[in-house]
Amino acid sequence: MVELNPTLFAQIINFLILLYILKKFVFGRVMQAMSDRQARIAGNLEVADRERSAAEELKREYQEQLAQARTQAQAIVEKATKLAEQAKDDIVKEARAEHARLLKEAQEEIARERERAVADIRNEVVALSIAAAGKVIGQNLDAKANAKLVSDFINKLDAQKIGGIQ
Amino acid sequence: MGHGGHAIGEHTTAKFLGYTFNMDTIYMTWLAMAIVIVITVLAVRRIETVPRGWQNLFEMAVETIGGQVDSTIGPNSRKVAPLLITLFMFLLVSNWLGLVPGFTSPTNDLNTTLGLALMIIGFVHVLGLANKGFVGHFGHFFKPHPLFLPINIVEEIARPITLSFRLFGNIIAGEILIILIAALLPIWFEPAVGVIWLTFSVIVGIIQAFIFTMLSTSYLSNSLKDEHH
Repeated sequence: MVELNPTLFAQIINFLILLYILKKFVFGRVMQAMSDRQARIAGNLEVADRERSAAEELKREYQEQLAQARTQAQAIVEKATKLAEQAKDDIVKEARAEHARLLKEAQEEIARERERAVADIRNEVVALSIAAAGKVIGQNLDAKANAKLVSDFINKLDAQKIGGIQ
Repeated sequence: MGHGGHAIGEHTTAKFLGYTFNMDTIYMTWLAMAIVIVITVLAVRRIETVPRGWQNLFEMAVETIGGQVDSTIGPNSRKVAPLLITLFMFLLVSNWLGLVPGFTSPTNDLNTTLGLALMIIGFVHVLGLANKGFVGHFGHFFKPHPLFLPINIVEEIARPITLSFRLFGNIIAGEILIILIAALLPIWFEPAVGVIWLTFSVIVGIIQAFIFTMLSTSYLSNSLKDEHH
């Protein structure tokens, strides 16, 4: 039942032939395919990794830019507020100055008007007085000497009192 | 469960150049070789990046055995991986061939199993000598102490014997049982037991092919590893 014969060597040769055939036609290709696939998968993973880190970098950048934009917007708003405030102050100050100037001008005008009015009245009074005096005395003096006489008289009167006429 | 028609363990012999050959074993070996070649060629005929069909199956075998070989032997495994993967596929097909009515397993002949075992031992010594040199390779016979020389020699002789008899015994026992079930059990009971035993034999076929391959791997690893003997 168990007997050894040269079949043993034939079997070794058979197996070596099989090994040779598979090595020549099969293993090279399948090993190549498997290592190719391995390389490809590894490559894909690496690319994915790289892309993910690039995306993260991009995201970080965007966030930074966003934060920057926010800060800038804040600064712009602050600046605008300050400018507006300043403009308001300027306008108010200017308005006040204008107001004061106008007031002063008006007062000056009034003063001038009063002075002129006083002068007019005085002249009128002088003329009236001379005319009255002329009529009273009934003689016509030299008009210029008369005017001086009356003007001196009036000047001697209390200036304050005359000013208070108005 | 018809079986060849001849008694188990007896072989059809032929004389060639004065030598006797077991022709049934050789025919079945050729058939097994042809099946392995056809399957693997089908598998790599159109190699695709995403494997399908035979390619997937074959790559699974290559990955499984190749992975085991790689983890046992290490960086030098590329040299022997094709040998061991071929060995596994050939043994698997051979073991299963005997389960097909009308066929026998090439591995039910001790000539096959002992031949393969001796071939492996031959590879062990050739690769060991090539890789480590004479002293480096045969030095392990004197370890851990020169007194261990006889034990180491016995171990060296036992290796091909245990390797070949384990496979041979398992396969021939399986085939004998198939015939016994067919011959001895009542006809109404036979299919159930037969199916159970056939299923079992399919698993035995895988396991024995795997064991033979893995033991060969471990023997070869001694010759290919640079460190740790």
